[in-house]
Amino acid sequence: MDIFVLVKQVPDPEATIRIKTDTELEIENKYFTNFFDEIAIEAALRLKEKFGGKVTVLTVDHRRVDALRRGISMGADEAVQIADPALEGSDPFAIARILTAYLKDKPFDLILAGRQAMDDDSGIVGIALAEALNIPHVHSIIGLEVDPSKKEAKVIREVENGKEHLTCPLPALFTCQKGLNTPRIPLVMNVMKAMKAQIKKVDSASLGMEPNKVGSSSLQVKVLRYLPPPKRPPVKMIKEDYPENVKILVRLLREEAKVL
Amino acid sequence: MAKEIWVLAEHQEGKVKGITFELLSGSIEFSKQTGQKVAAILLGSGLEEATKSLIPFADKIYLLENPLLSPYTSDAYESALLPLLKEHEPSIFLGGATSTGKDLFPRLAMHLETGYAPDCTELSVNEEGRLTIKRPLFGGKVFAEMVFSEARPQMATVRNHTFLIRENPGRSAEVLPIPTRLDPSSLKKRVIHLEKSPGARLDITEADIVVAAGRGIKGPENFKLIEDLAEVLNASVGTTRAVVDEGWRDLKDQIGKSGKNISARLYMAFGISGAIHHILGIGTCKTIVAVDTDPNALIFNYADYGIVGDLFKIVPALTEELKRVLAS
Ligand SMILES: Cc1cc2nc3c(=O)[nH]c(=O)nc-3n(C[C@H](O)[C@H](O)[C@H](O)COP(=O)(O)OP(=O)(O)OC[C@H]3O[C@@H](n4cnc5c(N)ncnc54)[C@H](O)[C@@H]3O)c2cc1C
Repeated sequence: MDIFVLVKQVPDPEATIRIKTDTELEIENKYFTNFFDEIAIEAALRLKEKFGGKVTVLTVDHRRVDALRRGISMGADEAVQIADPALEGSDPFAIARILTAYLKDKPFDLILAGRQAMDDDSGIVGIALAEALNIPHVHSIIGLEVDPSKKEAKVIREVENGKEHLTCPLPALFTCQKGLNTPRIPLVMNVMKAMKAQIKKVDSASLGMEPNKVGSSSLQVKVLRYLPPPKRPPVKMIKEDYPENVKILVRLLREEAKVL
Repeated sequence: MAKEIWVLAEHQEGKVKGITFELLSGSIEFSKQTGQKVAAILLGSGLEEATKSLIPFADKIYLLENPLLSPYTSDAYESALLPLLKEHEPSIFLGGATSTGKDLFPRLAMHLETGYAPDCTELSVNEEGRLTIKRPLFGGKVFAEMVFSEARPQMATVRNHTFLIRENPGRSAEVLPIPTRLDPSSLKKRVIHLEKSPGARLDITEADIVVAAGRGIKGPENFKLIEDLAEVLNASVGTTRAVVDEGWRDLKDQIGKSGKNISARLYMAFGISGAIHHILGIGTCKTIVAVDTDPNALIFNYADYGIVGDLFKIVPALTEELKRVLAS
């Protein structure tokens, strides 16, 4: 099984995000490998351990390769960084176009990605890539079994009223959700090795990307301005003794908040 | 010519979902500014009841009936929708930020090379019908106000409870059946079966009211207290990652950064400390109530109403009080 895993280094959920100007954010330098991408890496490694083959981690990022190193330390065989300052300002669709250009004539059985990246929380790149490569995708999987001889996968996907069990022919792309597995913690020795591992670097020109198809000039939805989250009114603490406090709460919910 | 505003109608067991009525209600408000027609796009089979329920909420219903469109798969929906989208070039195409919307819309937008904004929490149009949206980034630490370029349709998925459902006296949609031929061999994915969640409760992302307990509940058996409260309020039951990791509740009920974002009208948290990972999932809830024994619990910083107290006393008393007042 040849598997590509799309990975990204994203701000840690605890990192401070400051609005610098209307259209510029300042992000505290506290990054981690996207939580859902680690689940995707783990899923790929388990398939490789079972059926043999190769796992390649792939990122589009000209600044950070830590997610690739994380992948290597967990057990991925190869790492590819698509890096080009011209890609700055690209939206998820542009990233998907770049990935398409890179992957379109590579052999693979499966592409795995996280359900979404914990930065813009879009959940677009994987699905858009599957569209452009004209392969099926299943979004947000929590179960995966592959039958390499039949070139088919059985997957489970979360939906609102339950769990959907599907079959899907390979090659395909799946985005991974919490519940699929628990990612392994790499050994310190492997983390050290990964620091020195070779990372293959690819630029967008070599992929034949037209400049107007990437970067900020390709955007179809543009940020007008960043805003702080809507302010919540200060909390009203109900200080009366039990059980009076319960009665007051119900009254406030009915008469003040009008939600009951 | 004024192009239409489209809403993807989602349905389950023949019934159209709340999110669809919300989006149609919002679209009708837009149409008052733009003069555009509002159309519900309904795909599946056995759609009689669904069609009927949509009639007062739109100007048109495009009805795409084919057994291969039920249950939903992105392959079948995409094959059926692309020709229709290309023919009509709607101005706006909205869907729910649901397992269907988030699955389908990125594929369609990539194919049509148009703009798509996921998980929107606020939308508005100007007189030319140009869409501006707000959406949370970084799990809700920042919001982005974004505007669409010239490409059409302007596609967006929208969180539950972003719009209120409004009845439209006098509106009566024209039903337009669209012949939909699909080649079964081109459809790659197949749904084998749906393992339905036990119980009749809505998913936490869809419910109007969500009541949740964290590790403060001390054990899975005590969730009975929360279930009883949910029963009285017709609410759904949520929880924290700590509880899911203990194996006390199913992952589908987890609220927060690595779980689900909810936009309930009322959210009540019992014995939940208020870690940022959890808070990020409740940012767009309207009213938040927190009950915790620790007066310094972070959750109180985000709540509208707070009680410092023992959930084992408060929850049963609350259930009784609600039973009493809601009955009268
Ligand atoms: C990458 C990452 C992603 C994460 N994603 C999520 C996520 O999606 N969702 C999520 O919820 N968490 C998430 N977490 C975990 C999060 O950081 C917290 O650990 C978790 O939310 C805590 O859950 P809790 O509030 O149930 O437990 P605790 O923090 O242990 O809080 C229990 C609370 O119960 C109170 N209590 C105890 N007894 C009583 C009583 N009798 N009556 C009333 N109150 C009582 C305590 O005072 C305390 O405030 C994530 C963490 C990481 C690192």
